Amino acid sequence: MSCPRCAPQAPLALKAEERWALVGNPNTGKSSLINALAGADLEVGNWSGTTLERLSAHLSVGEGRVELVDLPGTYSLLPTSPEEALVLKELLQNPPDRILNVLDAGNLERNLVLTLELMELGLPMALVVNLLDEAEAKGLRVDLEALAEALGLPVAGAIAARGQVEGVLEAALGALAPKPPVRYPAPLEEALAALEPSYPNRGLALLALLGEAVPLPEPLLRAAQEEREKLLRKGHDPYLLALEGRYQKAKEVYEKAVQRHGTPSPLTERLDRLVLHPLLGLPLFLLALFLAFRFTFALSSPWVDLIGRVQEVLAGWIAASPLPPLLRSFLAEGVVAGVGTVLAFTPVLFLLYLALAFLETSGFLARMAFVADRVMQWAGLPGKAFIPLVLGFGCNVPAVYATRALAHPLDRLRVALAIPFLACGARLPVFTLFAFVFFPKNAPLVVLGLYLLGLLVGLATALLLGRLFQAGRGEGAMELPPYRFPPLKLLLRLSLARTGSFVRGAGGPILVAVLLIWALLHVPLGATSPYALLAQALTPLFDPLGVGDWRLVGALIPGFVAKEVVVGALGVSFLGEAGLAPLGLLEGLRTLGEAFGHALAGTLQGLLSLVAPVSFSLALEPTPLQAVLKDAVDPMGALAYLVFVLLYTPCVATLAALRQVVGTRWAASSVAYQLLLAYALAFLAGHLPLKP
Amino acid sequence: MYPLSQLSPGQRARVLQVAPERRRLLALGLRPGALVEVLLQAPLGDPLEVRAGEAFLLLRKEEAQAVMVEALEEA
Repeated sequence: MSCPRCAPQAPLALKAEERWALVGNPNTGKSSLINALAGADLEVGNWSGTTLERLSAHLSVGEGRVELVDLPGTYSLLPTSPEEALVLKELLQNPPDRILNVLDAGNLERNLVLTLELMELGLPMALVVNLLDEAEAKGLRVDLEALAEALGLPVAGAIAARGQVEGVLEAALGALAPKPPVRYPAPLEEALAALEPSYPNRGLALLALLGEAVPLPEPLLRAAQEEREKLLRKGHDPYLLALEGRYQKAKEVYEKAVQRHGTPSPLTERLDRLVLHPLLGLPLFLLALFLAFRFTFALSSPWVDLIGRVQEVLAGWIAASPLPPLLRSFLAEGVVAGVGTVLAFTPVLFLLYLALAFLETSGFLARMAFVADRVMQWAGLPGKAFIPLVLGFGCNVPAVYATRALAHPLDRLRVALAIPFLACGARLPVFTLFAFVFFPKNAPLVVLGLYLLGLLVGLATALLLGRLFQAGRGEGAMELPPYRFPPLKLLLRLSLARTGSFVRGAGGPILVAVLLIWALLHVPLGATSPYALLAQALTPLFDPLGVGDWRLVGALIPGFVAKEVVVGALGVSFLGEAGLAPLGLLEGLRTLGEAFGHALAGTLQGLLSLVAPVSFSLALEPTPLQAVLKDAVDPMGALAYLVFVLLYTPCVATLAALRQVVGTRWAASSVAYQLLLAYALAFLAGHLPLKP
Repeated sequence: MYPLSQLSPGQRARVLQVAPERRRLLALGLRPGALVEVLLQAPLGDPLEVRAGEAFLLLRKEEAQAVMVEALEEA
């Protein structure tokens, strides 16, 4: 779109390397726009110094190379959450070459308030009015020419989710430095007039006047502080005056640019009446969550199995090689096992990311938050916190990443540190093994009790952290975006990029941990191994819990890698090592072929099981391990052991995820906290006045 | 003038004032002059689903109490 009245101002020449920032309200389709403009190479990383996700992409424009960066969605430059604060900080301290302001055509008046704020910063800027189709369905038509004329900036229309972004690049290339658009009420204008001559631009003067921390020399800030106090003394709140001016202008522009025609189609309202129904809402919500769960675990388990088979075959080939035995073991049981541990998480993560992204962009996640909000208020958390907590019962790793949907870092921290206590699927084999050996009559009860204990400890942790940092009531107010059918290509690309970011960010630490454990187990130390020595040294610590067998204590060490490993480790130390089975080349290839076929068939079966009923069974075949375990510890000691396994560090992958989401220091503190708590509660459990 | 939290589903009103420290509510579109309608109550009576202008919002009871409104004639 052109801008007839801005003719005298020539558009900026494109530099060889430019960074364009997408700024807009949440749910205006900024990531869809990046996806539609940039093609395949979405990059997911972190904002420097933070754990917030940073989405970007590169594209060639003419001779130049442009990095498109998606800034967090925000309603105003005056932040109400740290995520929003990042937008102002980026724009001021690391100003982009151009701003692409993305607006929701169906809610233009509110969206324009941010536009007006952005224009005051004076950075070259163009507007993209997205979601034109939704506006049309609401009975709203946006006159892009009129909008361009009213603001003096280039404007393009778009339906980014359907790839209709013609004109966006053209508008961006025509970006202009805007003129301050708003005349504020007289008292505020007077204060601004006193500041503006010495300030770089009106936007900064206004921000300083509103008490926002801006990176400017001290005398300038002092001047703003004086003007601010003057206004307050006269009974004027500068914030309310600024809002008044902006609302007025936004309304004026809106009335010029938007025409109402026909009646709106109340799709979202009607669907909400069903989805948020007082009685039906909760069951529907649980069903949706259950389906997302089934989807993830039914479709990922065949691929996790395949990764396991590939690992076995590689280990078999290495065992058949003429390398020295210690090197064979290092490669097969260290390197291959370590890489396998990392890769085994990728199918689960990818599918869960996919399900979550679908729920989020379709508008269902916000509705789930609505239904769960009241319950979460009790824990002082926003409704959205419910989702990661539920996911934690499946697998802690994606649950930790899912806390990124929470706007406040404190909420994110509280939920992320609660998640490791939730009994994920990998702990179930340990629970069932011990429960059936030691509490044959009450096994399901014991397992259920452990799940509840984990949930209680998790919630208590969230509450405790809230008290410690004096969390407020927790921000509840949020927008319920309209129901949308999400662009699947975007969801796939985002999920792939996020899974890749897990492998890059968490893969290294996991591999190192697996190799360390390997060294403990396999580096010979005289007649014994460092593992046995360490386990025997630790055993006296566990005596008070009623666990006196060093083999039980030792199995907790590889349990740091993954909880299901505990069972395997017990098997090895009680029954002796099976050793690496060498495998011929052809035999291995055949196994691989079969395993791949199994994975495909399993996926198909998984898809079918989404509609078919699920059968769940806790029954276990009696194994030789069960028989020997009985003599190693008494039932109360076994209970203490189970509580310890439930509560201590779930696995290195969870730790690596925590490190990415809440930082190294909190991840490390959480390990210490988990160990202490596991020890204390295991001690208590071991001394319960029970007669098993 | 009374708080938005007193409206029942289906009732419409105009916002008169919002406490200035409630920046998030203001930013979400609950500004003086905006038309609001309570659409739904969550299963446990809290939060509310409210339409403010063109946006659908989730508001906790406690937040809805900070928004003062005047009732409108039923359309």
